Amino acid sequence: MKLPLEGLKQDIFSIREEETDLKYGRFPEKRSVEERINYGFILLDKPAGIRSKTAAYIAKKLMAVLGVKKIGYSGTLED
Amino acid sequence: MHLHKEVEEHLLRDTFIKFTGEITQMPPVRSHVKRQYRQREVYYSEIIEISGKDVLFKVGVESGTYIRKLIHDMGENLGVGAHMVELRRTKVSTLSEKNNLVTLQDLEDAIHMYVNEKDVRLLNQCIGNIESAIDFIPRIFVSDTTVDPVCHGSPVAIPGIVKLTDFDKGELVAIMTLKGEIIALGKSVLSSEDIKSIKRGVAVKTDSVIMNIGTYPTYKKVN
Repeated sequence: MKLPLEGLKQDIFSIREEETDLKYGRFPEKRSVEERINYGFILLDKPAGIRSKTAAYIAKKLMAVLGVKKIGYSGTLED
Repeated sequence: MHLHKEVEEHLLRDTFIKFTGEITQMPPVRSHVKRQYRQREVYYSEIIEISGKDVLFKVGVESGTYIRKLIHDMGENLGVGAHMVELRRTKVSTLSEKNNLVTLQDLEDAIHMYVNEKDVRLLNQCIGNIESAIDFIPRIFVSDTTVDPVCHGSPVAIPGIVKLTDFDKGELVAIMTLKGEIIALGKSVLSSEDIKSIKRGVAVKTDSVIMNIGTYPTYKKVN
């Protein structure tokens, strides 16, 4: 049976053609590690036995040397 | 799943089939939701290994399905009782174990290599783009001139939209730049079809802004 988001493909419809100024912003795939450190996403494989909150806290502590101030998380599993 | 008594394999398999599709369950006593019977969908349920009273299986369920409860109910249905031993989430939305899963140890190693050896490769693998977490949400792409107002919380008017995917009125919509960067999340006031045919008016209301103010400049109004 198919899962809700399985094989999801979103077609993009163009209303008009328009250029974007390369002076501002950055294509996500071209972001440097330094940029992603404070604007990124980690798919963390949490060990069993600790809370998601604790895992996020440990990750934050680890990343503090990189200048990370904030880490949030999503996807808490209530079994 | 740990069965409290051994059961014949065909009975176990029958129960797994019975608990696929629409199921009704009561949230457990200790739960974060109101305790009332809820309908949930079990998309698939597949036994991987049976070893005595222990059963390893993989299940795909609608959000809000309690697996501990599912196992308990299957145990009752079998007449022997059962409880959950271990649970691992292998997939959520468009993300799965097939993506770059990072353990805390991996992260620590990657940071070490970056800080002490100036090697960015591991850290590069660890940290993905925030956009990859929301690729299932329908989206609109707005012109450069629209980016800064949205960063300040302004809603998106139809003329600011350059490209869009399909969505209904009232849906959660991601507001993106033409470069594909997430600016904010919002709620559509019109459906994507309406936006294509109407010339002006508010299309998406901005809820939570993600992009920092100042990433794109403030353009002067031309009129």
